[in-house]
Amino acid sequence: MKNNVLVIGAGITGIEASLLLAGSGRKVFLVEKTSMIGGNLVKYEEVFPNMECSTCMLAPKQQDVLQNPNIELLTMADVVEISGNAGNFKVKVDVQADYVSAADCIGCGACYDPCPVSIPNEFEEKLSERKAIFVPCPGALPNVPVIDKAQCLRFAKGEECTLCQESCMFEAIDYNKQDRQIELEVSAIVVCTGFQMFDPVSNTKYGLGEIPVVYSEMQFERLFASNGPTLGELKLRNDTTPKKIVVIHDVGKEVLGYNSPVASMYPVKFLRYLTHKLESAEIISLFDDMFIPGKNYQAFFNEALKPNIHFERYDDVSVEAKGEGALVKYIADGSEKSVEADMVILSSTLVPRTGAPELAEMLGIEMAESGFFKSNRNGLAPVATSREGIFVAGCAEGAKDIAHSVEQASAAVGLVLSIIGNEIAV
Amino acid sequence: MSENTYKIGVYICECGPNIADAVDIDRVVETISKYPDIFIVKRHKLLCSGPGKDFLHEDIVTEGLTHVVVAACSPKDHETTFANICKKSGVNPYLYQLINIREQCAWMIKDKEAATDKVISYIRAGVRRVKYHSSLEQKELESTPDVLVVGGGIAGIESALNLASTERKVYLVEKSGRLGGTAGEFEGIMPYGSLSPEIVKSKIADAQANPNIEVFYDSIVESIIGFFGNFEVTVVRPNEDNIELKVGSVVIATGFELFDPSKTDKYGFGSKANVMTVREIEMKAKTGGVTLADGTTPKSIALVHCAGRDEVGYCSGVCCNSLLEIADYFKSKHPNIEIHDVHRNLCKTSPEEAERISNLEEKGVVFTRVSDVSINGDSSKTIVEYTDSKGTEKTIDVDLAIIAPAIIPGEDTPQVAQMLDLTIDDFGFFEEEHLMTGSFKTSVDGVFVTGCAIGPKGILDSVGQAQSAAGNILSRLVPGKKLHPEVKTSEVIESLCTGCQTCVTVCSYGATSYDEIRRVSSVNEAICRGCGNCVGSCPSGAIRAKHFTEKQLFQEVLEAIASSEISG
Repeated sequence: MKNNVLVIGAGITGIEASLLLAGSGRKVFLVEKTSMIGGNLVKYEEVFPNMECSTCMLAPKQQDVLQNPNIELLTMADVVEISGNAGNFKVKVDVQADYVSAADCIGCGACYDPCPVSIPNEFEEKLSERKAIFVPCPGALPNVPVIDKAQCLRFAKGEECTLCQESCMFEAIDYNKQDRQIELEVSAIVVCTGFQMFDPVSNTKYGLGEIPVVYSEMQFERLFASNGPTLGELKLRNDTTPKKIVVIHDVGKEVLGYNSPVASMYPVKFLRYLTHKLESAEIISLFDDMFIPGKNYQAFFNEALKPNIHFERYDDVSVEAKGEGALVKYIADGSEKSVEADMVILSSTLVPRTGAPELAEMLGIEMAESGFFKSNRNGLAPVATSREGIFVAGCAEGAKDIAHSVEQASAAVGLVLSIIGNEIAV
Repeated sequence: MSENTYKIGVYICECGPNIADAVDIDRVVETISKYPDIFIVKRHKLLCSGPGKDFLHEDIVTEGLTHVVVAACSPKDHETTFANICKKSGVNPYLYQLINIREQCAWMIKDKEAATDKVISYIRAGVRRVKYHSSLEQKELESTPDVLVVGGGIAGIESALNLASTERKVYLVEKSGRLGGTAGEFEGIMPYGSLSPEIVKSKIADAQANPNIEVFYDSIVESIIGFFGNFEVTVVRPNEDNIELKVGSVVIATGFELFDPSKTDKYGFGSKANVMTVREIEMKAKTGGVTLADGTTPKSIALVHCAGRDEVGYCSGVCCNSLLEIADYFKSKHPNIEIHDVHRNLCKTSPEEAERISNLEEKGVVFTRVSDVSINGDSSKTIVEYTDSKGTEKTIDVDLAIIAPAIIPGEDTPQVAQMLDLTIDDFGFFEEEHLMTGSFKTSVDGVFVTGCAIGPKGILDSVGQAQSAAGNILSRLVPGKKLHPEVKTSEVIESLCTGCQTCVTVCSYGATSYDEIRRVSSVNEAICRGCGNCVGSCPSGAIRAKHFTEKQLFQEVLEAIASSEISG
């Protein structure tokens, strides 16, 4: 019990924290809301500032998590109740029924094809379709499909469909499994629930969801990804290759009133992506702030300074449909300007996850004005929450890049270990 | 092992229909069974399942096998699974070979006969390879949990405080006579934001009072040799003999310097204009207040951002905030003072910062975005010249201009880097092991760099990074726990070594060294990670990679070629 630690969220931060805790001999319960581990990094083809292959960085760590005997991974799971104190927490976790047993499934994918349901794949930002029994993307880990009960004919409509079960040679599918609640005893908790991107859909001036050539940053990530819906080919919804592209930076900043360094640098990755795949395209980069903090971001930014990219600082921007493409109107240096484009990419700011306030209330920890979980920055303890024994790391604590997220994971582990002592698990 | 003692078992996994449907396993079994040195060939429906694993274990034991070849899925899925079964069954896990016949054959080749041919060829190659394998054993190393921290600034102090315990002693070596570094000097205006100087002071006091932290003042680390878990350190102390320490890990926290603005005439240092740096303002505020050369209080000031940014080639990321702190300071002391903030980018990175900027605007601070800026003037006035966002050249006359110079690498960086064989980046800071997953680590395992020594940052980030380094050490250097170094290391065949030292230059981990007396290189197996750089670069073929020997690889390839020629 004294050795047990709960990690909530299996993105890069939660993975790093779990591996370090497990390495020191602790027993780790890693609770993940979705069916797979890796978080947002799974969606990216490359990560900045060094434009490294995201999977290559992440996959060995994912494998380490799956193979580590000290880590118990609970996917499709939510922490629902917590009681007790630092060193002695009791935690209730709701775990959804695993209709596909991880112990029996070998991940061959034979169950997908027979499924009669086909719906847009949220993981692919609805740029492709998936079945009601599915893994979100090729290479998902753990490579075990889940059944989407809201879409499955059997669960949602009461039909006697057993097509996926019949197709499984390993008898891994059991419809009679039940949701369960488990109770854990842990001495410390590390919250690594990450971030999401500001959603500009409700703000009609950007035309997202209305104008087909307007893409959100995550849609563009998947369009660029070699395991994505177009296998990495930059083709628009009308099957053409864009020749003139506007990248709008800092979307959502005016609503939130602030931006983060990582959100300021994120669209620069898109410029690097675009010049890499479309050498002759004309690219207009509309930015508000260009915060290039630290020694490594300047070189990253300098590499994006290509002759086919035109940078302009905007004050206000809106997008409207024009023919097959879009017309981007903006104000620069006090004068109104506009540019026609056949692709518009919106790069938003990072915001707290939906459900963060509820999680904060349940865990009994304070939130900052920004909506991220509050850490004791003024006390020089940037991973300590307002509650003893509960730590926060990565983007759950505030928007930050991968390096800072991994750093905080390590820092949180340090505090956990110094609190619960150097006892070695038997 | 002589040839007649081989008892090689080949196990073919059907992976349900995945391999069985795409490959004629009967033909594989029949063909492979005829191959010399193979004792048994068996198939199973699903080797990774519970019954499959039990079968494999019992069969290896019953048949008394010496070597095991498993033809199944990708090693990423189950290489470890079957290695563990071998170990449990009394077969050294390095006398086992996994052949990937699912991803590389069954799922790739539509023609069943062709897929079957390829499976046979792969298994034959694997069997031939495993015959040349050697048993390898996992070694265990004792280690010391104690840690050396170099530099007693806020980063070094924080690492020390997080690490020190009754089971772990921390040696903190500081070249000056006091702890706290730059942050410890702040008490007037800095540190910025809501951090108070008291929090820094309390950390210093905690470090001084901690019985498990031994501070060496006015001391210098002269040498560090060894590897993770076992470093030997020599510290030069004033008026005392050198002291030798044994530590398991090292944290470098040697801090930074500030860009010297007099190196260029852009910031008025060549003229008689009134220009002060943030640090000068801080020192004056500490000792009675900011006055001009004639003893009067300035009535108008300009805050000029990005001093040295172009010269050093990066944004330090903290100067903006320190200038805003100065604006707050002056506005609270002299509400009617005229303040111009002249910046290229002003980044509101949190709601608090956004609020602070709008508060300052309400108090009359004028924020102007510029593209180019310089400071000039004479003893009567100070002129800030700039180009505004529309390209118009403008000037502002003020009593005082204040600049926040960029953070540059600490003066000790080259010496420390040379001592530990660490790499330095283009700017002169220590280089990270990896930009994302190793931003506080170095190429030498067990040596960490935190704070401004590895890149410009503020107090909060420095402390955060110091905690990260401590966390990594706490996780990996557990008192009483033995270390498990890499098994598949390189080794030098001394009789072939010509002493050219190419291997010493190519090793990223400092694992290879040259013996001047015996004139041969050697590999420290406690440090070697088995990357093979030295093997590939040795012009004499004098270095062997264990488990990837030339013989093993050649035999495997030869068999694969021979068998594919036969099958067409």
